[in-house]
Amino acid sequence: MTDDNTRPAHPPIASRDRWLDARRALLAEEKALTRQRDAVNAKRRRLPMVRLDKSYVFDGPNGEASLLDLFEGRRQLIVHHFMFDPDWENGCPSCTGQVNALGDLALLAERDTTYALVSRAAFAKLERYKATKGWQWPWYSSNRSDFNYDFHASQDESRRPIEYNYLTRADYAARGETPPSRGEVPGMSVFFRIDDDVFHSYSTYARGLEGLTDSFSLLDLTPYGRQLDFEDSPPGWPQRPTYG
Amino acid sequence: MTDTTAHPPITSRDVWLTARKALLAEEKALTRHRDGVNAMRRRLPMVRVEKSYLFDGPDGELSLLDLFEGRRQLVIYHFMFDPAWEAGCPGCTGFFNSLGDLSLLAARDTTMAIISRAPLEKLQRYRASRDWRLPWVSSFRTDFNYDFHVSQDAAIAPVEHNYRDQAQLEQSGQERFGRGENHGLSVFFRLDDEIFHCYSTFARGTEGITDAFSLLDTTPYGRQQEFEDSPAGWPQRPTYG
Repeated sequence: MTDDNTRPAHPPIASRDRWLDARRALLAEEKALTRQRDAVNAKRRRLPMVRLDKSYVFDGPNGEASLLDLFEGRRQLIVHHFMFDPDWENGCPSCTGQVNALGDLALLAERDTTYALVSRAAFAKLERYKATKGWQWPWYSSNRSDFNYDFHASQDESRRPIEYNYLTRADYAARGETPPSRGEVPGMSVFFRIDDDVFHSYSTYARGLEGLTDSFSLLDLTPYGRQLDFEDSPPGWPQRPTYG
Repeated sequence: MTDTTAHPPITSRDVWLTARKALLAEEKALTRHRDGVNAMRRRLPMVRVEKSYLFDGPDGELSLLDLFEGRRQLVIYHFMFDPAWEAGCPGCTGFFNSLGDLSLLAARDTTMAIISRAPLEKLQRYRASRDWRLPWVSSFRTDFNYDFHVSQDAAIAPVEHNYRDQAQLEQSGQERFGRGENHGLSVFFRLDDEIFHCYSTFARGTEGITDAFSLLDTTPYGRQQEFEDSPAGWPQRPTYG
C-alpha cells in the first residue's frame, strides 16, 4: 500500500466482529425501512380512483389511439410521462436513463398490466428517437390532446394552472420555492379499466419515480400491487403465493 | 358496468386528491427514511479480506481483485446455482433479466459481476440463450460462497443466513435457509491491491436493486451526488446536471 496521503477517502477498516455489530444495527434499520415500504404500498392499494370523462386522442404506431387502446386489453395501465417537448430533437437525458435502465418487464403482462410511454412531441420524433435507442416499449404522442396538461406532465399557464407534484403556484410561493418553468416535467400515472370505462388511480412525480425500473416496483404503483399473498390488500384482490 | 372484478372505490377528483396528498406525505417520509438508511450504510466500516479466492471465468482463472477490473468498488450478485442443478434459480434469473443499462456504474468507478457455485460450463450453457451482459463467474473451486453465507453446509462452515445462525433460524421457523444456496449481494472496496468487504445483504434486502442508483446505494461511496449526506472527502458531483 502507498502512504496514506495518496489513498482515496475510504470507510474505516475494522475487525470482523466490530463490522458485524455495525452491520447488524444497519440491518435492523433496513428491515424497518422494508416494513415501512410495505405499509406505504398497502395504503397505495387502497387509494380511490376517478372516472375519466374526457377522451384523449394519441398518435401511435397504428395511427390514432384512445387511452382505452393504450391498455392493450389489460386491466391496468402504467404511463411513463417521458419528457419530450415538441421543439426538441432528442428526449430528456434523465428520462432516457430511466428507460435504458428497464430490463425485462414480461411480468407486467402476466399481471394484466401494460407499460407505455407518452410524450408531447410529434409521433415521428418519438419513433426516430426510439429507433436510435433500440427500445421496444410502446410510445405514444399526446401532441394533439390535453393529456400532458391534465396529468401535470407539461406546464403551460395558458392551458392550465401550474401544478407539479401536487403543489400549485401558491403552494410553491408559500414554501419559498420556484415552481417549474413552462414545459415538460417527469411523472408516472396509473389507470384502471372496467369494461370500457377508464379510471385514474395514481400519479407520481419528482423523486417518486426513483427506482421504478423493475416489474415489482412498477406493480407497486398499481391498485393490485404485486398480486402476491404476502401483501396486505383489500378483499377480492387477485393474489397468488409469494413463493412458487 | 357488467365487469365484476374487485376494484378501488370510485370517487370524485376532490376526494381522490385529498387521499393522494395524504399518501404523498407518507411517500416523502419513506424517501427521507431511505436516504437516512443509505447515509448510515455509507458509514459502515469494512473488513480486510485476507483469504484469496480463485474463480473460473470465460477467459480462465480470476482472483477477487481481477473482478474489480481496475475500479474502486465491486458489487457481487450471488446468483443461486447449485452445482447439482441444470438450471439457475428462477428468482435470480428474474433479477438478472430485470437489469437494464448499468453503464453509470463504471462511470462511478464501480464494477458489477455475478457469482454462482455451479461449474462455469453450466453457467455458460444457461446463459447462452439469454441477453445477459454482466460477467458471470464460478466459485466452484473456492470457499467464497460459504464465507459470504450464500451456500450453507455445516460440514464446511457454520450455518448463517441473513445474520442469523442455525439456532436463530430454527427459532424463527426459517431452517430451510440453513441448507444449500441462498441469494444475496455483497460489496467490496479496493485500496491498491488490497480488498475489503463492506456490505452483504440477503433475502428482501436485494429487492428493487436493479438499477444503477439502487446498486450504488449499496456501495460505500453511494450515488456520489452532493445531495447525499456522506463522510468528508467522499467523491461527489452536482445532483442536477
